[in-house]
Amino acid sequence: MDALEAVAAALWPRRLSSAVPWLMLLPAVVLTGLLVLGLWEMADGSFRTLDTATFLPSDDYSFANYHRAFTEKLFVTVASRSLIGSLIVTAATLVLAFPYSYVMVRTRSAALRKFLLIALFLPFFIGQVVRAYGWLIILGSQGMVNEALGLVGVAPIRLLYNYPAVLFGLVQYMLPFAVLMLAPALTAIPEEMESAAGSLGANWVRTFVHVVLPMAKPGFIGAGLVVLTLSLTDFAIPAILGGGSQDFIANAIYDQFFRTSDQGMGATLALLLVAVGSIMVGVVFALFGAGTLAMGRKP
Amino acid sequence: MTGWTKADFDLSRRRFLRGVGLAGAAGLTGLPLRAFAAEPDKPRELIVRAWGGSWVDSLKAGVSDPFTKLTGIAVRHDLTEDNEIQPKLWAAAAQKRVPPIHVNWDTTTNATKSALRGVTEDLSDLPNLKTVSEAAKPVGVDGYPIVNTYGYVYVLAYRPGAFPDGAPKSWKVLTDPKFKGRVAVYNDGIGLHFPAEIAGGGKLEDIPGNMQPAWDFFTALKANEPLMGEDPDFTTWFQKGEIDVACTISSNAREAKKNGIDIAWTVPEEGATYETDGLWVPKYLPENELYWAKQYVNFALTQEAQQVWLDGLGLPGVAPGLKPPADLVGDPSYPVKPEDYARLLRVSSKVEVEHESEWFGKFKEIMQG
Amino acid sequence: MKGDRSKAVTLWTFVVAALIMLSAPTLVVLGASFTAGNMITFPPEGLSLKWYAAIAGATDLRDAFLRSLIVASICTAVAIPTGTLAGIALAKYRVRFAAGVQVYLLLPFTVPLIGSGIGLMLIFGRWGVLGQLWPVGVAAAVINLPFMIWAVTASAAALDPDLELAAANCGAPPLSTFLAVTVPAVMPGIITGALLMFILALNEFLVSLLLVDARIVTLPVQIYNSIRSIITPDLAAISVVFIAVAAAAIALLDRLVGLDIFLKSK
Repeated sequence: MDALEAVAAALWPRRLSSAVPWLMLLPAVVLTGLLVLGLWEMADGSFRTLDTATFLPSDDYSFANYHRAFTEKLFVTVASRSLIGSLIVTAATLVLAFPYSYVMVRTRSAALRKFLLIALFLPFFIGQVVRAYGWLIILGSQGMVNEALGLVGVAPIRLLYNYPAVLFGLVQYMLPFAVLMLAPALTAIPEEMESAAGSLGANWVRTFVHVVLPMAKPGFIGAGLVVLTLSLTDFAIPAILGGGSQDFIANAIYDQFFRTSDQGMGATLALLLVAVGSIMVGVVFALFGAGTLAMGRKP
Repeated sequence: MTGWTKADFDLSRRRFLRGVGLAGAAGLTGLPLRAFAAEPDKPRELIVRAWGGSWVDSLKAGVSDPFTKLTGIAVRHDLTEDNEIQPKLWAAAAQKRVPPIHVNWDTTTNATKSALRGVTEDLSDLPNLKTVSEAAKPVGVDGYPIVNTYGYVYVLAYRPGAFPDGAPKSWKVLTDPKFKGRVAVYNDGIGLHFPAEIAGGGKLEDIPGNMQPAWDFFTALKANEPLMGEDPDFTTWFQKGEIDVACTISSNAREAKKNGIDIAWTVPEEGATYETDGLWVPKYLPENELYWAKQYVNFALTQEAQQVWLDGLGLPGVAPGLKPPADLVGDPSYPVKPEDYARLLRVSSKVEVEHESEWFGKFKEIMQG
Repeated sequence: MKGDRSKAVTLWTFVVAALIMLSAPTLVVLGASFTAGNMITFPPEGLSLKWYAAIAGATDLRDAFLRSLIVASICTAVAIPTGTLAGIALAKYRVRFAAGVQVYLLLPFTVPLIGSGIGLMLIFGRWGVLGQLWPVGVAAAVINLPFMIWAVTASAAALDPDLELAAANCGAPPLSTFLAVTVPAVMPGIITGALLMFILALNEFLVSLLLVDARIVTLPVQIYNSIRSIITPDLAAISVVFIAVAAAAIALLDRLVGLDIFLKSK
């Protein structure tokens, strides 16, 4: 241990202590830097148009792809669909995740806590395709729900392959992440705070609104950001539950890279999506403060 | 190759000679480049990209397994989708890396894009090209950067229960309000553009100059709330009663039927899109692996290989003397005679390759609206 | 007490709704895997283990699963130190340009997976390291890293600056303080994060698709690619085996470290 300390002291002299946080951030910055390098490679392509006579990118640079991205109806449609969708999904997921997290953290039964925890992870293990198949069995035109409705005389309703179905699928997919992000924030709220509020005459609704929710704010911000960014960039759920007519931006990017072989256009859309996502994240941090996530730090 | 001892070589050679006896002369008409004794080192395995499910099973039975028997070279199949392996192959070529596969089984349209981009090896010296039909020759490119191996038809598949009076006669059934929400097409519209052009009141010769009839047809189709997906989706949707009619490749409809799904198919009065698939070899393979990859393609053109491979797919090949599988004799999705082909809609792959992006884009724009 | 009941009813309504939403498709698939028929249906058409027998004989599936385990292990091994250090740094120190750093570190979520996949394929291709499993593991770590960082940051609520100060005042050198005081304090976050990283890497598909080749294909990629014309119950059976293995792993973790240490309220 002493030897290790010596090495650490040599590598990490005290006078450099202001650099300590940056040194600790360095590995994460480098790892994430791989993505930046990748984006950089793609950025070059975004300024070149595809020549369909040779299927090579043009030699000269232009903003043609960017112009297309902002003017073509298809891209505007899918972009607004994914933006609005991700906001709805974020709100709905947080509403569902909070009670789940709360019960999971506050229950006195270790067995129940574990059950709730494991139920969170279950959906990950059936791949997207099989999961979609499962939903079809439950929600399809001849699925279990429609059969049940048929028993009470309701004609089959199309529950899948529309916009609500995509949002529903995204909420299901995001719920575990949101619960896991919220749980530590709730853990950090001492239970006595709630009982104190209760003994002062506040009913549970008021206690939630005035004590629990404000104190859990960092968790909500963290969970909200995860859900917002992941649903904004999701590809699989719109593809499998949208019936082909509910594409998000990531589906348009997929089409450019894989279907029409226009990698420059795909890169353009990807870079614009990164910009929009990062701006949204930046706005959230600006509104709520960058330190929101760092709950342990004393101001 | 280090792992090869003389005993191995003798063994594979013996196996080869035995294979000759089994497979007959056709398989042996290969080996164009060098005398047999000087053949290049055999790689341990070749990697061939293929579609999954019954597609790879047929290729394995008809081509890969006999090839292994003949040469002693194992064949591994990479089941990445043709669309999804394309950026991988293009990136490998751009970076002059050894590609992740030796042979790509690909649609002619996609393969032509790769050929135009210059990432394919020339296959003009394959001996079996002398025996195959004209259809093997790709259009709009020089020489043989790809070899077409068979054709297929985008048929109108339907659930017989929904059509008590017999098969639907026209593609217009897709826009019939009676089937609102119960029709399915590919999510990029592939296979549907040409029939749509005609069903929308246009002519095949108008393509690509005036596609307005097709766009009008798609607009009507959009109002009919179609489901859009890929082959497995169609099978699932037929199976679970979500749809009554779909535009799909005949092989997949046939495979669904074999698995007990109530499904039939037809070529409507407007005709149906006819396309081809082919094989090609990517650039930057080591020389010996390139040699054996080309041998694989050459072998896939033999009558024996094609008969088994394409029986599995139910598709007409390019080798001479192929017999249609019993269940497809007289089937419109298995053209044999010139008049069969006359019912099918074909556009030069050069035109297709140049305009496909634009057609997909327009289809998407209408359908995502 | 009436208030307590309405609270419980309200909370449990949401919890039950969430539970149904989370597990319904999984339960259906689980049941369907025991079908004697040739299609995924629920309830299954007769009971049999034939689809399990079918996958038991498939060595390619077993190999692919092992490779997925390796990828997940590499991902977790890379993510734990990287994410823990970054998480503690963000939680403990006032970092200049913190908002910018946060936006940067969230890039893995704001870049669409297809973009990440293509970009990493180009980078790893240029470096000539494709065709091996470790870049796939590293890629999985990159695209999920925010989970690891945030899990640690969130649990840093338990970090007590006074305790660290006390350790330092008692003459404990910085590294010892870090290992003996700081790291144990955020251990719940490390465990949550590591668990998430492992499970997500085990199931990673889209980025892996671009980084693997046929020799090193991972299980999710193999399953996705094997579907062409028809979906058969062997896929359901694979999912069930996958869940069983994962459940065993989670149970083991629970035995070793106790899963609810990071959830129990104080």
